[in-house]
Amino acid sequence: METKKNISLEEIGKELPFSVPENYFEQFANQIDKQIGYNSTRSHKIFRPWMYAAAAVFVGVMVLTPVFYTNNTQHNGTKNTDNYETYVLSQVDETALLDCYVDNNNSKK
Amino acid sequence: MDPTEKDLQLQLSQPKRRAAAFSSLVRSYQERLYWHIRKMVLSHDDANDVLQNTFMKAWNGLDGFRGDSQVSTWLYRIATNETLTFLANKRLRNLQSIDGDEDVTLQNLQADTYINGTELQLKLQKAILTLPDKQRLVFNMKYFDDITYEQMENILGTSVGALKASYHHAVKKIEKIFSEED
Repeated sequence: METKKNISLEEIGKELPFSVPENYFEQFANQIDKQIGYNSTRSHKIFRPWMYAAAAVFVGVMVLTPVFYTNNTQHNGTKNTDNYETYVLSQVDETALLDCYVDNNNSKK
Repeated sequence: MDPTEKDLQLQLSQPKRRAAAFSSLVRSYQERLYWHIRKMVLSHDDANDVLQNTFMKAWNGLDGFRGDSQVSTWLYRIATNETLTFLANKRLRNLQSIDGDEDVTLQNLQADTYINGTELQLKLQKAILTLPDKQRLVFNMKYFDDITYEQMENILGTSVGALKASYHHAVKKIEKIFSEED
């Protein structure tokens, strides 16, 4: 006995039995770049020369501003004198400081 | 026109920015166009050739692009025309073949390295091959890509009514092929 089975497209599905070589699309795009004379490695750089100059100026300002600020505020009051003393003491070796203290005590005796 | 489309068309119209914009365009649309073509020509090598022709035609035709349609629509139109031309030329070359063009494309289906699927998937592809080229296009665009009839109308230049009728008949033909006798 013959029976007909009606199959709908929904049952068949939408997957395609096709595949592509590995990295095909990347290579294809690069090939088209060459054909149109487009140098993607040069033109894809994000930074331009003027950006580097601007960055250098910015860094310079950030570095020099504290220096100028510190120089200008050294003439103002005790706080700056303390800062200066602290700076000088930081440059002196602890051993030398101790020797100086001992010598002073000995000379007073 | 949305801002990105406007910006893209502007870049494509400017000689200094054109190549970079086109390179970006290729990367955005290559896969979609590839599969649109591949579903028609079946062979990967043939699809690669047609896709290259499509983009080179687009590149060379940029000055003639008036912006009266979206870039995507324009590209799809070129890809479709290149595909139909390819198939027509292939048919001409096979005129003297005893087997005829359907069998040649069927041979592609069976012999191509990059075609491998289930029996049902291959059977569907064979069934689709029985349709005339333009009906095959309509079926593929609607069934696999879910492109709206309005978008199809812009790409193919055929009315929505005609497209709906074409798709409906294509579905009936394919389902009839799949009817089995046990």
